[in-house]
Amino acid sequence: MKLSSDSAVAATPSIVPTSQNHSAPSLLLRAFAPLHRTAMGVAWGVAAGGLLAIVTLVLLIRGTDEALTAGSLLAQFLWGYSVSWHGILIGLLWGFALGFVLGYGFAVVRNTAVWLWLTVIRSRAEMDQYSDFLDHL
Amino acid sequence: MDTHEEQLEHAVILLNGKLLGIVLGFLSGAGLFLATNFLLLKGGPHVGAHLGLLSNFFPGYRVTFFGSIVGFCYMFVVGLIIGTVLGAVYNKVAQA
Repeated sequence: MKLSSDSAVAATPSIVPTSQNHSAPSLLLRAFAPLHRTAMGVAWGVAAGGLLAIVTLVLLIRGTDEALTAGSLLAQFLWGYSVSWHGILIGLLWGFALGFVLGYGFAVVRNTAVWLWLTVIRSRAEMDQYSDFLDHL
Repeated sequence: MDTHEEQLEHAVILLNGKLLGIVLGFLSGAGLFLATNFLLLKGGPHVGAHLGLLSNFFPGYRVTFFGSIVGFCYMFVVGLIIGTVLGAVYNKVAQA
């Protein structure tokens, strides 16, 4: 199985330097290690909150009717949000909250999918191992 | 043996922020490029009336073929920044 080298693995309490360590356990860690759910939630939250705040700021600075109308459409979904200085903070909070939920959910789904995949692989391996069990009786 | 199993139990994956940024940038850029050209090919009386609102954020962007290239560049930069931030924040929190 070819393993991608675009990610590293952190094992508490120390970080495993996978770029220098190509032992079998290290490769297994790199292939099957789960995503950190809270970290993913915070990362998405920061990115989404920052993006929404910047978008609001740009709309506010431009200040055209078209820009204000486009921005205010977000208020249909985000309670309390408006294209205003106050709205930048509200947008930041809403963006963080939504981003956190999305990121956390993404990590949970990804980790569950990997767990299910591993369970299937393990079950198949066990079945292969014991398929000729009766032949030896 | 035990330490390896413990490691596997407690390990979390880290992200390569630069690579994530490039991938996100390319995907988002390609998305806007394709969406713009799809609307152009579809035609109609008001081509890209809604997508054109992006020019509020991206000066120079229009729903034209040249605009799709400009939009690709803008979205690539936005995706690159978002991906890099995602990777950096994730790694920081995961290692904390």
